[in-house]
Amino acid sequence: MLEVKGLMVFYENALAVNDLSLKVQAGQVVGVIGSNSAGKTTLMNTLSGLILDQRIKELRKGGERITIMGKVIHEGQDISDMPAYERVRLGIVLCRERHPVFPDSTVLENLAIAGHLRSKVEVAQTTELCFDLFPNLTRWRRRKAGFLSGGEQQMLAIGMALVVRPRLLLLDEPLLGLSPAMQEKVVEAIRSVREKTGVTIVIAEQFARPILPMLDFGYVIENGMLTLTGSGRDLMENPEVKSAYFGL
Amino acid sequence: MLQGTIIYGFINSVMLLLVALGFNLTFGISGVANFAFGALYITAGFLAWIGLNTLGLPYWLAGPAAVFITAVLAGLLYRFVVLRVRGLVVSEVIATFGVGLAILELFRFLGFIGFEYTLPEMLDLEVSLAGVIVDGQRLAILLVGAGLTLFLWWFTRHTRTGRAFRAIAQDEHTALTLGINTERVATVSVAFGAAYAAVAALVILPLGTIAVNEGYHVLVNALAVCIVGGLGSTLGVVVASFMIGFAQTFTATYLDTSWMMVVSLLAILVILLARPSGLFGSQKQLEERI
Repeated sequence: MLEVKGLMVFYENALAVNDLSLKVQAGQVVGVIGSNSAGKTTLMNTLSGLILDQRIKELRKGGERITIMGKVIHEGQDISDMPAYERVRLGIVLCRERHPVFPDSTVLENLAIAGHLRSKVEVAQTTELCFDLFPNLTRWRRRKAGFLSGGEQQMLAIGMALVVRPRLLLLDEPLLGLSPAMQEKVVEAIRSVREKTGVTIVIAEQFARPILPMLDFGYVIENGMLTLTGSGRDLMENPEVKSAYFGL
Repeated sequence: MLQGTIIYGFINSVMLLLVALGFNLTFGISGVANFAFGALYITAGFLAWIGLNTLGLPYWLAGPAAVFITAVLAGLLYRFVVLRVRGLVVSEVIATFGVGLAILELFRFLGFIGFEYTLPEMLDLEVSLAGVIVDGQRLAILLVGAGLTLFLWWFTRHTRTGRAFRAIAQDEHTALTLGINTERVATVSVAFGAAYAAVAALVILPLGTIAVNEGYHVLVNALAVCIVGGLGSTLGVVVASFMIGFAQTFTATYLDTSWMMVVSLLAILVILLARPSGLFGSQKQLEERI
């Protein structure tokens, strides 16, 4: 479904992603595991096309020079130069890190805004699916998103991505800043999303322990480079992963 | 006298609201302080005048045409000038102010000066409000002001483009990841803001003549209202319009009309010293945007 070939991303002369290649098959849950500054967010921004917008804005204001090399192929089509909003039309939807919701709008308004490309009927259907997937949100329908807890905001953010009706859902650090109990709830929610929608999911995460069990395939990256690959179960048993991520 | 001052203060406040809504809308969504705003206001006035008097068009055609052309001009200004320097605040201000200055002084250069440059009144009647006579044009200002405020509220909540406006105003990157073409929507918001300026011009300018200097006054008033209310905050704009509007009218009544502009400038000065982010703006947003 998605293939990345020899991706390299530079911020000025600093190499954020180094010759990275990966594949995502339809229907899979694929993980990109890495510590802080490993290049996870840069990778997700490249897959979603957000980095192209960042590059244009930096260029306009004479800021940091962002250089991107390599290819992003989606279902046989090279989408490396396709803007983020057009990739969304292909079904590639990114849920950014740190609960990206619209804080001054209510939960329902957030979901309605997310349905920009969808008809009213489709938005209404997916909104109900969201409340079904995330019952916690049901009682806060008319509450401003900025007043929700971190975990609820993350659920809403995933819900908003679902309203777009993605074929490939990119989740960037969905567990960041959440308590262990809330992390468990969000992991459970992601599992439900997979079961009920069958959408292909790519999760970039530094909290490996809760994520690895649900992965069909995982990539471990450090300093922008691929260091390990394997199924979620293989990675869980790997001594290097155990040492780096489980403290064992 | 007090009743009259209150009623005319209310009308003056609605006039300020009318000119500030468009400026605030543009800033809130695109993040660009459009310093060509006053020039666009005057352009709409002269375009309507040309349509009516030079081309002989009926008002129902000349008015909307002026609004449409002004909106397109603003969209082009954003697309081909502002977008190239977007994110560089000083350059944005210089670029928009420069274009505004060029437009206004071009009108002066082309000889658009004189008492013949007036627009017709919309309502030819007089009514008594609490014993105070109010002319039809000022009633039209009240109606259009209320109508445009309600329309903006409805538009940003119940239309696809309006919701995209709100999305970009809150978080442009998240909007982009939801499939919203943020640059196109920002261009539409600038055009929309200019259309608001144009409608304001069509209802306010019939009270006097279309004068180039009025463009500068409108810009200062819009800036004063938006800075006092909090840049990007619609509620702030409404509250600040009434505060400054009443302050101006009381000053004009009990001091002199020449002091009205001083009130606007003083309001900017006081709020920047006491609460730089404005009454309803947040300091964080101000630091991020300015």
